Parts: sequence; C-alpha cells; structure tokens
Amino acid sequence: MSRLIEIITSDDPLIRDRSLDAVCQELTIQQLRAECDDLDRFRRTSSNLYERVRALFFLYAIHRFHIPLRDRGAAPAAIPFAGYTHLLKRRYEEAIDIFLAAQASLGAGAAISSALAAAYRGLGFQTLAGQVRHSVRSVRGNQWMFRTGHPEDYPLRLRRELLQVEGGMFPVLRESTPVRMDLTHSGWSDIFFLGMDFPEGARVVNISVDLAVRAGAGENGPKPPVEAYLRVIDQPVLRLVSVDLGATAEISTIDEVFDFARDYLSLLKAAVIASGLVPPGMEGAVQPLAQILERLTGARGLGIEIVSKVNGIPKGSRLAVSTTLLGSLISACMRATGQIHSLEGGLQEDERRLVAARAILGEWLGGSGGGWQDSGGVWPGIKLIHGVAAAEGDPEFGVSRGCLLPRHRIFDRDEISSETRDLLQSSLVLVHGGMAQDVGPILEMVTERYLLRSEKEWTARREAMALLDEVIEELRAGDVRAIGGSTDRNFSGPIQTIIPWAANLYTATLIESVRAEMGEDFWGFWMLGGMSGGGMGFLFDPRRKPEALVRLQHIMTATKKRMEHAVPFAMEPVVYDFAINESGTVAALLRGPDALLPAEYYTLAVPPLVRTEARLLSPSRRAELDRFAAACRERSEFSGMVQQMFDHLLPRSGDQQTGAGQTLAALLEAYGFDATQHRQIQADLRSGRIGLAQNRLPASTDITDVHQGDAIDAVHGLPGRYREIGLEALRSGSVAVLTLAGGTGSRWTKGAGVVKALNPFCRLGGRHRSFLEVHLAKSRRTSELAGAAVPHVFTTSYLTHDAIAEHLRDRENYGYPGAVLLSPGRSIGLRMIPMERDLRFAWEEMPQQLLDEQAQKVRESLHQTLIQWARQAGEGSDYTDNLPLQCLHPVGHWYEVANLLRNGTLARLMESSRHLRYLLVHNIDTAGAAIDPELLGYHIDEGAGLTAEVIARHLEDRGGGLARVNGRLRLVEGMALPHEEVESQLSYYNSATYWVDVDKLLAVAGLTREDLGRADKVMEQTRRLAARMPSYITLKDVKKRWGKGQEDVFPVAQFEKLWGDMTSLSGLECRYLVVPRVRGQQLKEPSQLDAWLRDGSAAEIERLCGWR
Amino acid sequence: MRFQKAVITAAGPDQRALPLQTLVDRDGQEKSVLCILIEQALAAKVEEVCVVVWPGDESRYLQAAGSYAGMVRFLSQPQPLGYGHALYCAHDFVGSDPFLHMVGDHLYVSAGKPSAAQVVEIAQAEECPVSGVQATRESLLAQYGAVAGHRLPGRHSLYRVDTVIEKPTPTEAEQRLAVSGIRAGYYLCFFGIHALTPTVMELLGKALAVAPSKAVTLSSVLAELARREQYLAVENTGRRYNLGSRYGLLTSQLALALNGRDRTEVLAQLVELLADREMAAGQKE
Repeated sequence: MSRLIEIITSDDPLIRDRSLDAVCQELTIQQLRAECDDLDRFRRTSSNLYERVRALFFLYAIHRFHIPLRDRGAAPAAIPFAGYTHLLKRRYEEAIDIFLAAQASLGAGAAISSALAAAYRGLGFQTLAGQVRHSVRSVRGNQWMFRTGHPEDYPLRLRRELLQVEGGMFPVLRESTPVRMDLTHSGWSDIFFLGMDFPEGARVVNISVDLAVRAGAGENGPKPPVEAYLRVIDQPVLRLVSVDLGATAEISTIDEVFDFARDYLSLLKAAVIASGLVPPGMEGAVQPLAQILERLTGARGLGIEIVSKVNGIPKGSRLAVSTTLLGSLISACMRATGQIHSLEGGLQEDERRLVAARAILGEWLGGSGGGWQDSGGVWPGIKLIHGVAAAEGDPEFGVSRGCLLPRHRIFDRDEISSETRDLLQSSLVLVHGGMAQDVGPILEMVTERYLLRSEKEWTARREAMALLDEVIEELRAGDVRAIGGSTDRNFSGPIQTIIPWAANLYTATLIESVRAEMGEDFWGFWMLGGMSGGGMGFLFDPRRKPEALVRLQHIMTATKKRMEHAVPFAMEPVVYDFAINESGTVAALLRGPDALLPAEYYTLAVPPLVRTEARLLSPSRRAELDRFAAACRERSEFSGMVQQMFDHLLPRSGDQQTGAGQTLAALLEAYGFDATQHRQIQADLRSGRIGLAQNRLPASTDITDVHQGDAIDAVHGLPGRYREIGLEALRSGSVAVLTLAGGTGSRWTKGAGVVKALNPFCRLGGRHRSFLEVHLAKSRRTSELAGAAVPHVFTTSYLTHDAIAEHLRDRENYGYPGAVLLSPGRSIGLRMIPMERDLRFAWEEMPQQLLDEQAQKVRESLHQTLIQWARQAGEGSDYTDNLPLQCLHPVGHWYEVANLLRNGTLARLMESSRHLRYLLVHNIDTAGAAIDPELLGYHIDEGAGLTAEVIARHLEDRGGGLARVNGRLRLVEGMALPHEEVESQLSYYNSATYWVDVDKLLAVAGLTREDLGRADKVMEQTRRLAARMPSYITLKDVKKRWGKGQEDVFPVAQFEKLWGDMTSLSGLECRYLVVPRVRGQQLKEPSQLDAWLRDGSAAEIERLCGWR
Repeated sequence: MRFQKAVITAAGPDQRALPLQTLVDRDGQEKSVLCILIEQALAAKVEEVCVVVWPGDESRYLQAAGSYAGMVRFLSQPQPLGYGHALYCAHDFVGSDPFLHMVGDHLYVSAGKPSAAQVVEIAQAEECPVSGVQATRESLLAQYGAVAGHRLPGRHSLYRVDTVIEKPTPTEAEQRLAVSGIRAGYYLCFFGIHALTPTVMELLGKALAVAPSKAVTLSSVLAELARREQYLAVENTGRRYNLGSRYGLLTSQLALALNGRDRTEVLAQLVELLADREMAAGQKE
C-alpha cells in the first residue's frame, strides 16, 4: 500500500499525523512519482471528502515542493494552454487530466509539476469551500430561505409591536452588540476547515468587549461598539443606511438587494438576505420588492429602514467588527420577523447559534469569510468556543469529523472571578496599529500546513493547544501576569512558527520599544486575529497602565512615521478604551419620543429633507423631524448636530495635498511633467489609437518558441573560464549593479503606494530585511569575493527618491564598502481615468481567474460599478481625485535606465570608476539577482551589448518571454502577444535581469562616453531612442483611502516603456542565458513569499548575502 | 370515550361576522356557515353544540342557526382575551366530558367522510385527544398552529404529537417541526378541528390563571398536553378554507359547489364567464 495513502486513511494519530515532508524526503524521485499516481487514483475513488482533500494537498505539495527540488535540470516543457484555461475557469478536474496527459506524453518536469500543483491546490480549496457552503445551507433553519423564490411564497411577517405608531412615529428596534477579542489565538484553529476535520484541536477563549476609541478625558466610555437599527417606514422601499460609511440606498427591486458591489452597503444587504428578510432563494426574481414588503408588513405602502453604526472602530481592528455587525443586523432582522422570540433583551443559546449560522451564510453571500469564533460578540462575557464531533443526525455526519458550528461554553464567575475580570481590564491596553491587511492568504496557508502536518508547524499547533489550557488555568487562578507571558510566548513561538507572516517589522519594533520603556512591567504581547499590525493587545502591570495608554499611542505614531514609506498603513494608530461585556447582544424597542435613530444618521438624512418642501414629506418623517429638533435641544448625544449638519450641507472643497503639503500641480511642476506629451497620449487613448488592445503586435505576427541553442543553459554551470573572466572584471572595477527601485509595488500592496525597495518583506539573517538591504548584502558579498567594492546604483522615482535617500542616510548605506548612488527619475506621468473599452478588454476579453461562485458575482458587480465610475468621471481624463502622489505614475523601467544617462549618474559613476564597462540591471523584486562571475564572464566573452537572463517557465510566469518574433530572437512582453495561448508555447520567461555593455548601449543611443557630459545631446539622443520603443497602456490598481481605515481600489490607466523591448532593436547584439529559478524569480505578490520561503529559495538567497 | 359535545369559537373581533354568511351547501340548499358547521358536528354524532360569540352577537347567531337553534347554546366571551380564553369560556358547558372543537372562520370540504367525524372516530378508537392536521406550505405558517411528531407504526396518516407551536416562523418550523415523510417546506398545521379531552380545559384554566391579561393560545396548551399524555394528530384528506382570507368566502363557496349537487351548473357558468372575457379581450385587439 502507498505510504502516503496509509497516512491519509489511518485512524491511528501516530500515522495520521505524520509529516508529508518527512516521508517524502525518504523517497526517490521515482517513488515520489509512483506515490503521485497512487494518490491521484485514490482521490478519484475515495468517498470520504476529507480523505480526498488531504490527498489533493499531498499531491499539491509533492508537485510544488518536492519534485522541483529533485528535478532542477529537467528540460523546459510547455504547459498546455487548454489546461491553463480550465484553471482560470476553476475547472480543476479537467485541468488535471490535461496536465497529466501532457506529463505522460512529453515527460515529467518542474514546469508541468507547477501546473499540476496549482490545479490540485485549487481543487482542494474548492472542495473544502463547497463543503462549508453545503453545510451552511444545510443548517436547519437556513434551508427554507433557499426554497423561497416568489413573493407569493414569502413566509415572514413583521411583529405587530413594530407597526404600532406612537406620536406619529413607528418604533425603532435597536440591537447593541459587543465585539469579540480572541485571548488564546490557538493557531487560527477557528478556520472552518480545521474545525470540521480536527474538532478536538479547534478551541479558543473568546471575550466579548465594549469599546471606544480613546480620545481623552471627558469622552464617552466604552459601549457595545456595534449597533443595528430597524424600523418601519411609510414608503414601500428597503432603505439601508451605513452611518459610518455615509452611504444610503433606497431599494425597490429584488435585483438591487443582491447587487453587492454597487455601493458601500454590501454588509447590510448580506444581513437582509441572510436573515431571510429577502431570502437568498429570491435572487433573480423579477417581482417588485414592494410585494415582499407588503406581505412582510401586512400593508401596502410600508417599507423597512435598516441602519448600521460602528462606534468609530476602524477597519482591520482584528476584533471581527464586520462579522459582529453582520450578526447584529441579522439578530435585529430576525427579532423583527419573529424568528427570534424576544423582541427585547438578550438571546437564548439556540437563538445565538442561529444568528451565528446566519452570519456565516451572510459572509459567504458577501464573498468574504471569517472564522467560526467571529460571532463571539453575540455571546456574553468570557467563553470557551470549541469544535464538536459530528454525530448522527448532524448534516455533517459521515462527511466530516466535526460540525460546522462550534459550541460555546460561557465561564461563570465561579470559574473566572470578578477580580480576575477586573484585573484583566486594568492590565490590557488594546490598540489598532494602523495596518489593515488582507488575512485571506494566511488562512489558506494555515489550512495547507495543517493538512500536510508539516513537522515544525504540527508541533507548534500542539504547543498552541497546550497554551490554551495554560491560559484557562491562569484565568481560573486569576494570574493575569502569567497570561501575558503565555500570550507573548504564543506569539513568538507557535504563531510565528505556523505562519511567519503573522509578524512584521512594525509589530516587532513596537514590542521592542514597549519592552525597553516598561521593562518588567510589560507583561506580554497579545496578538489578535489573523495577523499583527492592526488590532493588538499589550498587557502591563495595572499600576503602569495609565502611563502605558499614553506611551503606546506615542510609540505607535512615531514608529509609523518612521516606516510609513515602507509598510502599507491604512490609518493613524489608535488606542482603545475597553470593558468586558457580560450581556452579549441586546435589543431595545425605542417608542414614542425615544424612537430616534443615532444622531449621526440625521447628518446624512436631514440635509436632503431640508431641501424638500414640507408638504411633500410623509407624516412620520414630519413627526420625526419635529422630534429630532427637540432632541437637538434636549439630549446630550444630539448636541452639536446643527453644526455637523451645516458642514454636511456645505462640504468643504479644495485641492488635496500630500503629507508635505504639496498640491498635484506643484508636484507635476517639480518633477518635470511633460504636459504636451501627456495631452498627446490622452488624445490617442480617447481616439482608440492606443489602448490595451493596441498594445498587441499584429495578429499576423509569427511568434514561435526558441530554437536549440538560442538560449545558453547556465543552470548546470558554464565553462570554468567564464568565472575567471568575470572575477577579473570585478577585480578591475569594471562592473556595477543597477537596481531599478522607482516602483511602488502596485501588486505588492494592491496600490497602497509604498516604496517597494524599503518594504521589510521577510526575515532573513535573523531579522526583517528590505529588498534594498538584501541587494546591498549580495553586492557586499560579491565585493568581498572579488576583493574590490562594487558600485551599487538604485534608480528612483518621484515616489521613492526621498524615502530611499533618507533610509540609506539613516542606516549609513548599511555600512556598504563601495559607492552607493541614487539615480533620480526624470520622467513622470499623470494617471488617467480608464476607457470603458480598456476595462472591458481587461475584464471580459483577457483570460481572468474566476473566483468562487459568490465572490465572482461580487466581482462582476464591482466591475459594472467601476465601468459606471469611468463613464461618469470622464474616460481618458486626468485622474486627480486622490492624494497627489497617488495620481502620478512612473513611466516604466525603460526610463529608469535612460535616466541614468540623463541625470548624470552614469557620468559620475564613470568618473569614480574609470574602468566601468558593465552593468547588471535588475528589478528590485528579483531577490536572487546578484553578480555571478560566471554569467558576467559569459557576457564579456560573447562581446554582446546586452545579455538577458531567462528562466524555464512555470505556470505562474505570465507576462511574455523569450521568443522568435517573425524569425528574430527577442524578448516579448505579455501585453504585446497577439493571442494569449502563444505565451504557453514559450519555454522561457523573462527574469528582467540584464547584463549591459555600457559602451554598446551608448552606441545604440548614438552616444559615446565623452557625450555624457553634454546634457542637451544626451537628452536628444535618449528621446530619439525612446521614440523607437513601444509604449504600452496598462491598468493599475490605485487605492483611495477614506474614513476610518476604509480603502477603495480604482483601476487607472497609465503608459509605460519597458526595458525588455531593447532586445528588439537592430544594432544591439543580444544573448540569452537560462538561469536557475531561484535567481530569476521576481516577487510580485506577498502571496508568493510563503512558497518562496518553503521551497528553499529564501535560504539560497541568504547564502548569497553578506550582512553587515 | 364518547364525544357528545361540540364547541365552535366565533368571538374573534375580525371573524365574528363570518359564520353568519350565507352559502349554498353541497346539497344545493342555502345555509349559513354556522349551519354547515353544526351539521358537520352532528355528522360526528355530537348531540350538543356550544358557540362562543362576541358579547351581543347571540341573537344574530341564534337566527343564523336556523333549524338547529334549539340544540345550540350560545356563550359570550366577555373580553377579547384571545383564542384560548374564548375556548375556555365553554368550560362549564364541557364539564368533564370530551368535546369536539371547531373554529368558526373555516369551512371543511371532503370527498368522503366529513372531517369532524374522522377526527372524532379516531379519538374514540385511540381514547386520547386528536387534532386534525394538514401538510401546509411554509408560506402559510403565519396563519396556523403547527405540530411536530412521529408517524405511528403501521398507521398511514396518524402521528404522535411531540410539540405544538403557534404560528411558527419557517426558521423555527425547520428546526423543530420537521416530520419525516412530509415534503420539505411543508409542515403539519392544524386543520381547525380537534377532538379534545377535559384536560385541555384544565390546562387552559391554569394558563389563564397565571397570566389573566395575556392572550393564551390553544397551541401552547396543546404543547403542554403533548408533554403530559398521548396526543395524536390525524392528517386530513379534506380541504379547509379560511373564510377570513382575501376571496375566502368565494373560494369556499366554489369548493362547496364543485363538490356538490350543482357542480355541472357552476362549472358551466365559470366556463361561460371565462369565454366571455376572452372574447371581449379578443375583440379589443
């Protein structure tokens, strides 16, 4: 029997929990392939869902991490395009069959394994997500909502109490809900998949808390931070209002309820659907919403208004605010429709469970997902939430080991005393560090590691489980100091062992600073939620807490200021006041004069009403306005409303400014913006002369894969003489490194606009390092090897120059022995509102990765909204509605090299290094790029003007490659390929690392070394050269931040010229070298980091580095 | 156990006029709804009938009872304290005897044996209280009490009742009222005919004593009954028609006519009506 299948099917934990990696290390490549065959057969026939899933993840891991390590020398193989298309469409089974057939006919190799790995992983997660979705729908009490498809079948009725008008106004139902705080973390064991496969290991201690952002003395204290309001209105619409997001919608069609990305009200809509108010089965029904409202209220002409309010808690708090809000809204809607018995007060246990189940459904509907503990705020006080083994009668029985929904055991005061609760409150400082990151990839990593039982991580998980027991004991004993020790150990031990990315430099710096200031009185750090940097806890000796509250705010603000160019912050850090909430979610019915919505609601609602003639207002609106006017005079929470409303009526205007107070116009002026060129590009874009479709080469272009000998294999090493040539060049000082660092990593931070070069992306050599530091460390190592310091140049742009200069100055160039120069940008572009045709081309004609069914619906709705935005904002017009720096763009890395000539850096470099002749040019995110004497020697010996490095294509390498274009060998950009499938036929991918002969480059530009001092000539010749380079129109995501940590992402159009196109120039002789993947791989997205760390790439790069 | 008494409740503020309406019965005779109900009770071999009415309605009801006036007793519900209280108003009439209970705002039409007779026969045979139930779509749950139970072995349409919930939401129904053998989205809801024991009156009395001003539902008392003793539900083959719903009277009348002597005549009239309408529409085009 296959050893791996035995692991999957065994009931014995000693076998079942064996690490895949450990077993694989004992197997030969042939044995591994045989295991893959067995596993694939097994997963096709096994009737047990979790066995199938584990087999799929085993297959993924073998193909992703084990086969490539043993198979480095394999020849590149094309990945069938049909399989790739299936992958994009999430048709994983079909993709696997195609890839396996290709493997059988063309032979195994790392390339086809990369495709198989992606397909197996995708199918694994798809199977798991399908099971969770099925379980959510199968929960008793949820099923009817999927059957109800016509208003005539609509079964809910509003409670009579809500229809009884008093003082001209309908009563208001208010639900107040605390958020949850996770005390033990427990290695993300609240992920549904984990709880359903390993219920005994899925446990957390979870505390419901009231909260207030700390604003100073005299401010309101903590209260349940989440509120939902519901009332009847005398208008047959569903009115949804988010007080915090300033968004209102009056919905009159069923379709609009299901249109999630149309506005900022997706969470309210998800609650309306998940509560059954408009059941999910109604999606697509064409009847007017008024029909449902009539059946619901029992009268024609009536509607419902639902209002949400979060008490100033910013996004990314790691306190599950959005799930809590969903739960709060659902609870209010369910009370109103009698699905929860009590209209007022708390909930019964079975009702809380129902709300939690509906919140899970709501999250799925909204295309998001949280953990099963996230509705914890619905329950009161401190509780243990734990997985439950599925038993007969459960819908999960026979499918998974555990149930979808966990159990909640509330600790009473006999078990955790009032004194302990008080002590916990007076020790803990709760903060939001300002970072708001997507934890989705982390949850996938956790699931993956769990299923693979990777040795280190599995041990860490068991440690985390033991730590939970420890924390419970400490709570019982009232030893809060010990709790601090436990949560601290949890963070520095198991959490970071399971997921190193849970920590970051910002958090580490905060902890270090706090420890330095508070010494022994700092009892420990406490990580909340998916990752650190946002919501976090710090435990102190209660005597020092008042001081700690003040100091933490100061430390966070100062640290953020130091790091804000390098790390994506969404907001200013804040400190919270908090208190344990012992009630859970609670509702009250506000009647008569009290039947008002929250004060902030009226700043949104009243201005439009003021503009309406009084006679056109409905009677209840008139009564409400009267009551509101009285409340402004009488009630403290309504004081100051008149001023706020006035501000809202007359919004302030003015140019947005940068942090340094510069306007967009000033920045354009300062950076030498070429307005004439911009207007030309704008006109071309609008007229359709340029655009995404026009980036492509003509359809008749003949593009084929390379021939034998077109690219020289350097993976298996080059002749020894090259190394000597290279070393000699190094010793003579004829080589420099040019790192392209003008970019802001739009994919790396999804348009957040930080300097990618400075991003402390990974722990290497014992601490977090930035890309910039890593590149300097490699050059230091090279310099040591050659016995001569290699000059290192970083090209910068308007976005990155000051930050990089300051960073290097503060760190004294990391003690680098040679010259470190910055080559500032001389070109700048102004982003434009995209053309609708380009958006449609990108989203509808280019191959797109489909998302999970519901998430895809949300994405499509978002696309429609963004197309609408582009139309309204004016297609092709200047993009100016953001911070000025977010409106500008660097114009591609071709200019970064050209700027070297224009700004005099090359001339300076040549002055200081007279023998300089060769440049290694590479991207900031090509972490493995370094001067390799062998490769340098090859370049010199060949006498080429430019030698480009390529790598054997893996599935994820999209964006062009090395090809014969109309017979001529060159690099071709993905954007320029006339058909998508051409790319799949290209064996090599461009690593964007080049060896350049300076003199030959100058010659192509019509220049000599002597000309470098003549600015006019350099400018003229580089402009001419630029004119020979194609310009590409691209769409980039740019974030616009607003509110409290809210971010919108807009696609904007910009143009760029790319360095790889230099290989198409006649007169520049080019060579191509195939280099190892670890050298050529570019890190474009943080989600690549985990595999990069696990497959040994990071370790190999560490060996290239010489740290200070 | 013999059922000689019947209680019809007709005191609800919104329903009090319904039993007074006149319809053409299956036998082609014009009768008040009240008369039709009394005849169904008599068919179940009941000998005495009590009707609980809104104070002051007695004389109109007496008139509506027509030829049965002599065997019917009218009791008024002094205050509108709900359905349970209305039924309890007949507790002196019932005394320590089992009794048939029917609601006054529904009509029952069955092809075979009248529904009331079916329910009473089973109660007598099983010597326990029995309620008539019917599988009802979840969209109508807001109108009825509903039961959860288990089918008795070997008895096709007979259930042992575990619990009763008044007007459940579909959420609660799905969680607590699912009965195996009943289609998804359908629940066993009361038919409006019950053969009850004096225990029910006793339980009603207790519930009303605890909360005299609160509306007590029959369902809550039947839920308690189910906890105490064997209580069965029989799935009725007939149809019930809610007279108080929109077009309720019209639908009830059609149901009676299409199941009775004048079926052909009524059908012909309906067809004529439809044909006229279609022709008129055709001419307009």
